Amino acid sequence: MAEIVASKEMHEYFNTLEGTLKKEIEIVNNARSKGKDPKPHVEIPLAKDLADRVENLIGVKGVAELIRKLEETRSREEAALALGREVAQGKVGTFDSKSEAIEAAIRVSVAMLTEGVVAAPIEGIDRAGIGKNDDGSEYVSIFYAGPIRSAGGTAQALSVLVGDYVRRGVGIDRYKPRKEEVERYIEEIMLYKRVASLQYTPSEEEIRLIVENCPICIDGEPTEAEEVEGHRNLERIDTNRVRGGMALVLAEGLALKAPKIQKHVKKLKIDGWEWLEQLISGTKSASDDSGEEKKDEKPKIKPKDKYMRDLIAGRPVFSHPSRPGGFRLRYGRSRNTSFAAAGINPSGMLVMDDFIAPGTQLKVERPGKAAGMAPVDSIEGPTVKLRSGDVVRIDRIDEAYELRSEVEEIIDIGEILINYGDFLENNHPLAPSPYCFEWWIQEYRKAGGEQTDGEEVLKDPSQDVALDSSKKYGVALHPKFTYLWHDIENDKFEQLADFISENGILESERTVLKLPHDAALSSGVKRTLELLLVLHRISDGMILIKEPLPFIYTLGLDDGLRKKWESLEHEEVLDNINQITEFEVRPRAPTRIGARMGRPEKSDKRKMSPAPHVLFPIAESGGNTRKLENAASFKASTNAKVGEIAVEIGNRICPACGVETFEYRCDCGEYTMPKLFCPRCGISVNKAECPKCGTKTTCTSMRKIDFKSIYQKAFEKVGERDKLDSFKGVKKMMSKDMTPEPLEKGILRAKHDLFTFKDGTVRYDMSDIPLTHIRPSEIGVTCEKLKELGYKEDIYGKPLTDPEQVLCLKVQDLVISYDCADYILRTMQYIDDLLVKYYKEDPYYNAKTRDDTVGTLLMGLAPHTSAGVLGRLVGFTTAAVGYAHPFFHAAKRRNCDGDEDCVMLLMDGLLNFSREYLPDKRGGKMDAPLVLTTRLDPSEVDKEAHNIDVCESYPLEFYEATLRIANPKEFEDTFDLVSSRLGTPLQYEKFMFTHDTSNIAAGPLKSAYKTLGSMVEKMDAQLELGKKIRAVDASDVAERVLISHFLPDMFGNLRAFSRQGTRCVKCGAKYRRPPLTGSCQKCGGRVILTVHEGAVKKYLEVSMKVAEEYNVSSYTKQRIELIGYDMKSLFENDRSKQMGLSDFM
Amino acid sequence: MKEINVQEAFLEAGYQISPEAVNLIVSHSSPKNLVCYILEHIDESVFVIETEHIDLSSFESEYPSSVKGNSGTTSDVASKVVSDVSSQVSQNSEVISGETPSHSEISLSFATSETVSKVTSEVSSPSKKYSSSFPSGYGSKGLPDAGLNVNSNANGSNINIMSDITDMSTCVGEYMEFVQYFRNRYSKLSDMIRGRITARPIESLNKNRKQGSGLKRSGGGDYSEVSIIGMVSEVRSTANGHKMLQLEDPTGSFLVLVHQAEKDLFEEASKIILDEVIGITGSLTNDGSLIVAKKIILPDLPNISHRREGTWGKAVFTSDVHIGSSTFLEEEWCGFLDFLNGKCDNDQMKELSKDIRYLVIAGDLVDGIGIFPGQEHELDILDIYDQYAKAAEYFSQVPEHIQIIISPGNHDAVRQAEPQPRFPERITSLFEDRITFVGNPALVDLDGVRVLMYHGRSIDDLVASVPGVSYQEPEKAMIEMLKRRHLSPIYGSRVSIAPEKQDHFVIDQIPDILHCGHVHTIGIGRYKNVLAINSGTWQSQTEFQKRVNLMPTPAQVPIVDLSTLRTTLLHF
Repeated sequence: MAEIVASKEMHEYFNTLEGTLKKEIEIVNNARSKGKDPKPHVEIPLAKDLADRVENLIGVKGVAELIRKLEETRSREEAALALGREVAQGKVGTFDSKSEAIEAAIRVSVAMLTEGVVAAPIEGIDRAGIGKNDDGSEYVSIFYAGPIRSAGGTAQALSVLVGDYVRRGVGIDRYKPRKEEVERYIEEIMLYKRVASLQYTPSEEEIRLIVENCPICIDGEPTEAEEVEGHRNLERIDTNRVRGGMALVLAEGLALKAPKIQKHVKKLKIDGWEWLEQLISGTKSASDDSGEEKKDEKPKIKPKDKYMRDLIAGRPVFSHPSRPGGFRLRYGRSRNTSFAAAGINPSGMLVMDDFIAPGTQLKVERPGKAAGMAPVDSIEGPTVKLRSGDVVRIDRIDEAYELRSEVEEIIDIGEILINYGDFLENNHPLAPSPYCFEWWIQEYRKAGGEQTDGEEVLKDPSQDVALDSSKKYGVALHPKFTYLWHDIENDKFEQLADFISENGILESERTVLKLPHDAALSSGVKRTLELLLVLHRISDGMILIKEPLPFIYTLGLDDGLRKKWESLEHEEVLDNINQITEFEVRPRAPTRIGARMGRPEKSDKRKMSPAPHVLFPIAESGGNTRKLENAASFKASTNAKVGEIAVEIGNRICPACGVETFEYRCDCGEYTMPKLFCPRCGISVNKAECPKCGTKTTCTSMRKIDFKSIYQKAFEKVGERDKLDSFKGVKKMMSKDMTPEPLEKGILRAKHDLFTFKDGTVRYDMSDIPLTHIRPSEIGVTCEKLKELGYKEDIYGKPLTDPEQVLCLKVQDLVISYDCADYILRTMQYIDDLLVKYYKEDPYYNAKTRDDTVGTLLMGLAPHTSAGVLGRLVGFTTAAVGYAHPFFHAAKRRNCDGDEDCVMLLMDGLLNFSREYLPDKRGGKMDAPLVLTTRLDPSEVDKEAHNIDVCESYPLEFYEATLRIANPKEFEDTFDLVSSRLGTPLQYEKFMFTHDTSNIAAGPLKSAYKTLGSMVEKMDAQLELGKKIRAVDASDVAERVLISHFLPDMFGNLRAFSRQGTRCVKCGAKYRRPPLTGSCQKCGGRVILTVHEGAVKKYLEVSMKVAEEYNVSSYTKQRIELIGYDMKSLFENDRSKQMGLSDFM
Repeated sequence: MKEINVQEAFLEAGYQISPEAVNLIVSHSSPKNLVCYILEHIDESVFVIETEHIDLSSFESEYPSSVKGNSGTTSDVASKVVSDVSSQVSQNSEVISGETPSHSEISLSFATSETVSKVTSEVSSPSKKYSSSFPSGYGSKGLPDAGLNVNSNANGSNINIMSDITDMSTCVGEYMEFVQYFRNRYSKLSDMIRGRITARPIESLNKNRKQGSGLKRSGGGDYSEVSIIGMVSEVRSTANGHKMLQLEDPTGSFLVLVHQAEKDLFEEASKIILDEVIGITGSLTNDGSLIVAKKIILPDLPNISHRREGTWGKAVFTSDVHIGSSTFLEEEWCGFLDFLNGKCDNDQMKELSKDIRYLVIAGDLVDGIGIFPGQEHELDILDIYDQYAKAAEYFSQVPEHIQIIISPGNHDAVRQAEPQPRFPERITSLFEDRITFVGNPALVDLDGVRVLMYHGRSIDDLVASVPGVSYQEPEKAMIEMLKRRHLSPIYGSRVSIAPEKQDHFVIDQIPDILHCGHVHTIGIGRYKNVLAINSGTWQSQTEFQKRVNLMPTPAQVPIVDLSTLRTTLLHF
């Protein structure tokens, strides 16, 4: 692939990153060659581009070059298919057998289809095999595993096509299923749907059609405990258990993505896939019911309540679907929104009892399912009624802090900023835009409005300027004076006009309208003002409305408050207004977006539980806390040697001196080899399989080790004293060879209070939020430092001098939370300690303060993926999120809808990561940096990122089109999207945004969900907030929480109680049913229940209380009542009750 | 008998005992019988048993034999008493296990009693108090609501509730209760098997293994043949296709291998399900680590059994009415009520209806609320009490000469964990007084014909676990229950259990009719003189059944001639 197209500055930037990376690798290689690491060099291969990643991930040499060649002329998907075929034909790599070649071919294709990032090609495909048809011919079967899920439906389906494509290449026949096999698929997929879940469940006919015709046998390893009931013990299907990978590929892959495969089949002219036609037309007729509805009606945005499902206690609803008072949609993009993250005014976060903080996930009504939240203070905040009766809109955060305790009702929760790109990505019709300033000013300019007036004047005009503009240029009334007329009915409108005409007093040169408060309150006029969001204050028994003229005119009154109209002709208030007024009044909030809290933001250390400092096994000798200190002083029996512990550990042998050890390196300096033996025959063999019985060999066994001396020697070696607060190991190694980490590493980790993850790295998790621009002032870094890092100019091309200037964030630069920075700082100090004390090298970072971390190289890595992305720390934020360029998130295959992933210090990954530590089980290679992307190419990141708009403003046509609920695709070619910049230097630079925000960390530091204590407290707070927000029906929230959280929890626990297993407290042995002996059969220990009365009853009381207080439906009340009786019957002794009674008589 | 055993015996029965009292008992010449005696005679209001509660003089006068130290061979007092009584009450006349002379005397005196109901009530008097080893439901005398137990009307159609959990539930959800529940199952069922094989405690096998295997190697063939009785705790297939069972008794657990080559035995073994109690005869392997099975013994019903005489008239069996559901077949149900009232065009049917004395309903009277997610969309009556009120209205239309017995099911408003007590007062008060409500399961005596009513939740488990058992033929599942002498052996799957001290699911008294429902399909079968009836439903196919492709057989009612147990199926 050609060199990335970028400006000189960007190339410089990439070169700086790579230069530092090279230097660090050199240091690490040098260090690792001295210590006792699994390998004497860095174990994370670098990948400059997709081709490199695929090659490194799958490990077939020569693939990268082939990919680069194929991609020159083909699309990604076509290239992937061609690649598979070439690999299978043996053009690259060498394979022992046909099936191995096919397997590798399928893997590389899937890897390419998934950008070489996710773990699906290595973890999701177990193997490919060759079976025999009943006519004697051969067929190919692909064995899928659970992690194939991470590939996504299209890649799953295409992997089957690849399989077919390559089998033709090597001349193997198609799969000819037996009848019972077809039926087995049907039973199994239906069963899988029941025990797990499927996005789409094909009908029996569809499954039959697919299995009978699919030229590849879709097989898989068992993933679920459930077994099929019929169709058991089939000759060609190894297991009776449910094969999850198979079900996914068949249902969510082939059945759901049939049209996409057909596209490729047609293009490549592969025969034998004609049945797809039938599948596609068949599925269409099945979904006719829903399809027809859409055709008949005019496009209309309907309320959707899907996001309200499965409401959880303590996670409040902010607005019911499309309800007045809910979030008002505003189109645009701020520098910290887009890519599934939305913006709201930070005042709203505060006013809504701190439940939303930057990074908090909201489940939203549209356009997508969920969105991460970011503070944007250039949009409108919530409108609230204070206890005094004042109705104010809180736009500024300082006001929010001041007034939050005074809030009686949140009449309107403010605007939500969503960019066009998110509508495009979700293929959601454009919901009508509100009449907002961005729209108004374009009409104003178009109508010939004075160009000289600065935007600031026009953004917040006086009533005279607003009225003059409408008069002079015929533009609609300025949004500032446009109220929510569509929310009231004609009678209210008429009442309001009459009331003001009769009682209103216009004062102070027509800048204040006074209305008698008591009369307005009792007549309901005040409520109407509130619903219209007409801001007002109460003073001396009067309601004061400032700058009332546009309002008065809109009501059809004249300067003397005389009514100029007799009756209303239209059904809609707005239509009437536009008839009786001289200027046009537009709908101010035509689209409301419902939302509720999803999950809270995260910014915390990655810890396993219990959290170890080192991957060193000590079995039970450290107690439940796995304390190494305890293990060092452990005595198996009274006269046993102190510190001698029995652990399952790998045995290795030194080829030079023949000494047996468990370390990677012998004291003589030679690298050791695993000493393999057959667990069945007991013979020692140096092969992966036993030559006698074919069993897989292993080097692990239960052995006694003198832990005390290992422990003491390790402390000696690094020159630390055994005075650590807490120093923990693991119970058992999860890796194949069970070779532990050097204990020394753990000592230094514990010293710096760092925890290790399963692969030996130290990680920190944060919620993903995008950021395209920064201000030096808000990220805690000086201009000088930023200049050093290559930030020379601001977005307008002016040299960087002022910390308030706005700069374009470079694609691999990260702004992390302060807590994360401190953790990184400690990791840097740990690495220095490790270099000096363990490897006897010079320190590298010499970091003393947090400021020293700026410019450090990090690595980003998302769960379910296996490719890290190189990043650089440029600043800090008080928000509990990880801010990074959307491309950076996309490179990890994440969007910003509230997910979280981790960063680690690059040097830590290079120095301490080893594949040898990874768990030897399905999914063990996920979430590990198997390859590192060094240079971010926007065309090789998740395609979702190509739909981000990066313009300064949205065109007038766009706003107009939203009124007819246009398809977002209409604007795909004209909008300034990332996709239009790909392949040009602009793909990295000169991004813009439509709405600025003054502080990317504004709002609460933490969501209230995290600070509130018990579930009951959370639920109380949730319902309190519900009562305050107009757009929320607290009683409905209470009922939903009961139905979706508390009742299922109680039912589930009650059921679990009566079917529970038991557990030994001493050895942890589990029993499906309590043993008849009463005590543990293995160790004689005490056996206890796993589900307790307390767990069953915990929500009963609060459920009854909430049901009563919020008057939920009697159906729900009765359900609670019955479950209460159920528990009583189960946990109360009938006879003791009777006895109690007779005792008193 | 050691002090600890004495304490345990009392704790299991729900009493505490003072150290002085323990000393007194231990120092007695026949402590076991004394414990037994105390438990039978102790006042229920006593919590802590003191020395003053131990009436030695009356004990010695009543049990002269035991004073002589004749305490039998079985060490487990509780299990022995159970086996004695079950054998007597079931009137099989076959001696199931070795009894001590003193108990035989008691049983003889019972046998002379004339009516069955009298027998049971007399049997109940000792059993009631020694509740830890008797099905608590046997007892009725002395309970506050004893009057309900025998229900008779003008026609003399007596209903006698012989076993029912209602008001006898003692569980409070502790670990030991679970253990006791299974121990009780083991002791009851193992006693049924014990008469047929000479089984050893598992502990003794494990001891042998530790001592080495030289003993077994010297002898061949029968020499190493052993028998054990155990509860199945694990069933799996080995890599070579054999069946491996893990059996457990209160002393330990042991592995049993069933060879694939032994076709018939292997077939039998494939029907073995978790948590049932079976006997195994086989040979120990050389290393003493497992038994290779030769014979599998189930508790089973006895082969020879006298058909009781029965009584006159007919009984109608139904279940799963699901009143309140939108799929409840109201029209057909009303047709059924008309039939009971003799309102039908067909003269033969009219005649038939005159003979009906009993209407038995085995659970799921109403559809309930919150039983499955989204049930509210499939209900016509959303209020649970309205559902029962509607049911009461229907039953008020049943003519007075027909006795109605109703037990609950998983859709009813009682606890989900089985055994389920009868409906609470709030619900029963909606109905006319003449209706008899019982728990689930319940053994009722209809003027001499014994009906074991059980809703049948466990049929789901049996269908899933026993080859050849399906929802289309639910009677097969019920026959499996009879063979195992247990209504619901499998623990931890679909059936929720309440850890009562007694295992109420053990079929210790053999019924004439076993009546289940739950699966909505009609099934009628016969096994060794027991009639098995699954009585279908009054609900058409539900959404759930559509999804899993189950076809119910609604609105069909089995009607049984109580003198011959001949069954006719009526369609409505």
